[in-house]
Amino acid sequence: MSFPPAIAIHWGNFGPELAVLITAAVTTLFALFQKNSRSTAWLAMLGAFVAAALNAALFVRERASGAGSSFGLRFLADTPSLTLNFVILLGTVLAILLSYDYLQRSDLDHPEYYPLILFSATGAMVMAASGDLITLLLGLEIMSLPVYVLSAWRQGARESEEAGMKYFLLGAFGSAILIYGAALTYGATGSFVYADIISAVTAPGFAAPLLLTLGGALVLVGLAFKAAIAPFHQWAPDVYTGAPTSVTAFMSVVVKTAAFAALVRIAATIYPGMEPWLMTTLAVLVGLTLVVGNLAALLQTGVKRMLAYSAVAHAGYLGLAVLAGPHGVRAVAWYLAAYTLMNVGAFAVLMLISDANDHGDELERFAGLGRRRPALAFAMTLFMLSLGGIPPLAGFMGKILVFQAAIASGYTVLAVIGILTSVVALVYYFRVITYMYFREPEYETPAYRSSAAQVAIWAAALGTVLMGLLPGWWYGLVSSGQELLARL
Amino acid sequence: MIALAVIVVPILFAVVTGLAGSRRRAALGFGLFSTLATFVLALFLPGSSGISTPWIPGIGVTFTLSPTGAGSVLTIVAALTMIPTVLMAARRVERDPGAFVALLLLMQGALAGIFLARDLVLFYVSWEAALIPSMLMLGTFGRDKRRAAVLKYLVYAIGGSFLMLISILAIKPLSGAASYRFTDLMAATPHLAGATQVWLFIGLAIGMAVKLPLWPLHSWLIDFNEQNHPSGAADVAGTLYKVGGFGFFAWAMPLLPVAVNRVGPVLLGLAVATALYGAIAAAAQTDMKRLLAYASLSHMGIVGVGIFGLHLAGLNGAIFLLAAQMLSTGGMFLVSGMLYERKGSFDLDRYGGLAKSAPALAALSLFVLFTFIGVPGLANFPGEFLSLLGAYQHHPWAAAFATLSVIGAGVYGVNLYQRLYQGEEREASFDVGALEVFALIPLIAGILWLGIFPSPQLSRIQTQSQLIATPTASATAEAPAALAAAPARAGGATDLLGSTGVPGEGPVAPDAPLGGSR
Repeated sequence: MSFPPAIAIHWGNFGPELAVLITAAVTTLFALFQKNSRSTAWLAMLGAFVAAALNAALFVRERASGAGSSFGLRFLADTPSLTLNFVILLGTVLAILLSYDYLQRSDLDHPEYYPLILFSATGAMVMAASGDLITLLLGLEIMSLPVYVLSAWRQGARESEEAGMKYFLLGAFGSAILIYGAALTYGATGSFVYADIISAVTAPGFAAPLLLTLGGALVLVGLAFKAAIAPFHQWAPDVYTGAPTSVTAFMSVVVKTAAFAALVRIAATIYPGMEPWLMTTLAVLVGLTLVVGNLAALLQTGVKRMLAYSAVAHAGYLGLAVLAGPHGVRAVAWYLAAYTLMNVGAFAVLMLISDANDHGDELERFAGLGRRRPALAFAMTLFMLSLGGIPPLAGFMGKILVFQAAIASGYTVLAVIGILTSVVALVYYFRVITYMYFREPEYETPAYRSSAAQVAIWAAALGTVLMGLLPGWWYGLVSSGQELLARL
Repeated sequence: MIALAVIVVPILFAVVTGLAGSRRRAALGFGLFSTLATFVLALFLPGSSGISTPWIPGIGVTFTLSPTGAGSVLTIVAALTMIPTVLMAARRVERDPGAFVALLLLMQGALAGIFLARDLVLFYVSWEAALIPSMLMLGTFGRDKRRAAVLKYLVYAIGGSFLMLISILAIKPLSGAASYRFTDLMAATPHLAGATQVWLFIGLAIGMAVKLPLWPLHSWLIDFNEQNHPSGAADVAGTLYKVGGFGFFAWAMPLLPVAVNRVGPVLLGLAVATALYGAIAAAAQTDMKRLLAYASLSHMGIVGVGIFGLHLAGLNGAIFLLAAQMLSTGGMFLVSGMLYERKGSFDLDRYGGLAKSAPALAALSLFVLFTFIGVPGLANFPGEFLSLLGAYQHHPWAAAFATLSVIGAGVYGVNLYQRLYQGEEREASFDVGALEVFALIPLIAGILWLGIFPSPQLSRIQTQSQLIATPTASATAEAPAALAAAPARAGGATDLLGSTGVPGEGPVAPDAPLGGSR
């Protein structure tokens, strides 16, 4: 293993993460003196925007003078991590907007809420930037701990507490497996840094020992927990259903983005040097995820739980691109942005329709929405169609990209499974649309309004349409610059 | 740029109409203005320039539109058909006409995309995009059993188009084409191995057969038409959306010639079955809309016969028929809506003797009906005739059986007219109003235009037919004129086409330099 002569820190590289972290700390203190959380929400949003601006500056710098790294390739500021930072910050801001009125309405208004969201986002960004298994683990823990707390945010509600507990136990289990995998990998190669692992395994005469394969497999399992890849997805439906809807929205996009950012980087860098059956295993898991996620979603009558399984299904589509390794990185980054927009949008609409305690999310609630609240129903239609992969919306372009990546890498059968399960997916997404437009309401339903959530919904709807019509813009960003720093 | 405008103008007006809410006047004004403007723009399509810019550069998806060839003909005729459709919809839809008109306009934009796209992914995007408005029209404005009809429609349409998507996604990596642009694909895909071509073709063919529609994938169509809004406007949009034949013609067949040779005869057989089945079933219907649905299915069978006959004349005729039936089938559906306005039912038993109190309506609908059943001199005839003639060159028996459906057309056509307009009148009705006259005039003008001057459109279609038909049939300059005159001297037409000397083998040689003919 080879350290650079002196460990260069390069503070600038983690400017965005620092901005979010500092905001989180300041917001925590500030929140102590506030009656309600509204002002902290603004502060949190400001921090996210500052981070986005810093991230943009890094992006410009990266285009001009190449990708940067800190601590000797342990923390990377390359195109994938910077673009995914944008996605994470987007998901964070949308989640804050969703929570703005919802917390009061649902009597969940405690000052620590927004700081926790920001802490979690920090961890997610660290995960996206990790070029080293220890950095990855640190990011994972920073991201997860606040989310465990947020899942159990609704005190006294059995589902919410169960969600927090379940998530915590299984999450800790997943982390432990990941740590074990990292340790074994270290044992086999003598380093945690991806770049060093690659040079070790590609060195002439290196016979991959069982230790390394086992390490790689355990790392995969650990990340599969976070990414909700079957059969490690079991926690997801319960946690997503039990957590407050705004938290679910946040988890379903930000945690997923971070998990896939880490997974795709590992799949593109160190896995190709390991045993081929590792990728075969991942391929089997991805196929399983596609089938299980979509079929289970088909059976749900509650929309929230349906969206939870749909999130599992989308993990499968993302997995298709992960399998493509280096060729799939762009597809993953593109898909995650589209997914963030359409999924948060769908949860936001659901939030405005269901009761304050998150009950009342069954399909009947949506009956006649097309006439009662045409704008909201229209937005929901866009999100459902996009999630289902109907052109010309963002979800379709995302699917084209991931299927294309999978087919180009030889996973044709999986791509076919993906497309066939998409037909199944359309059934449950269309079901929501049919209830909204083709049925009359059976009973009077409450109508909540929240201008902050409206902003989130329309921003997401606009993004969903624009990404579908002009996919090249974001694709240009995610594919500019160097592909992956750690492959050097 | 006009090609882009023909797509964007209706979509923009759809948004405006949608935002204007449910005010009938706004729906009528915006809708009419948009359709008229689009039609005028579409008239300038031939001769305008196309567009080609990268869309998703990394994976070779481009935004390519070409205003030449068969697509322009179909776009123009569809734009013409949309004018009376929007007019009728804006006046006849009781609840929320603005939304209905907006959906119609969205559909028009997507249809223009289907016809003008010269990039396979863009084609697919438009193809799927048109599904949503048609589904929403059926589900929101349809009749009592609409939910079952929507489900059936979606299962067929989406099941088919996702299979198509698999082939579309695979065709570029497998062939190594530079992009999804038609010209780039054409340079690579015909050289694919035979078995690969067949698999890719089957994927495309299932999606397209659903939308042709081809027996046995047709059954959604009947419920779709029966359950749609009684004004008939949604059925017209559905008629325009029968783009499967165009998909075969413009994409699947030129790209995969070897597969066409192998699978073509099967499809030809299905097309013959469709033509006959549709005609026979139509003769047995007592519900006006079901009758029209089966009759139009029969026409689509003839379109299939023309296309899968793989002969230049048949290909020209099939696409021409596709354009002509937009006017005639669309016209019949609008007439059905006008009749519903009078009697409140589509049950033919409740009609009769309407010619006494509504003679002008009877005359106008007889004209459209004559076109519909393929009377010479009117729009459908050149298309039907050339389709059958073309198929006859390589597959005389298939053509002979398909021709029997023309007899069926006479039966159901006369039957329909008699039951509607002749006999005892039970209760007096009223004759055509200004709205109905205005709605039918553009259609009748279009029917006469296509029926009397088919050759300019045929020659435009022919630029694309040559890619599929026997290479030796690369026709001379006067061929289109000869095709137009074909009815007059049917016996001599084959000589003019110069392609019948080719042995009965599949007409497309796998290694033929197809790319060179462009």
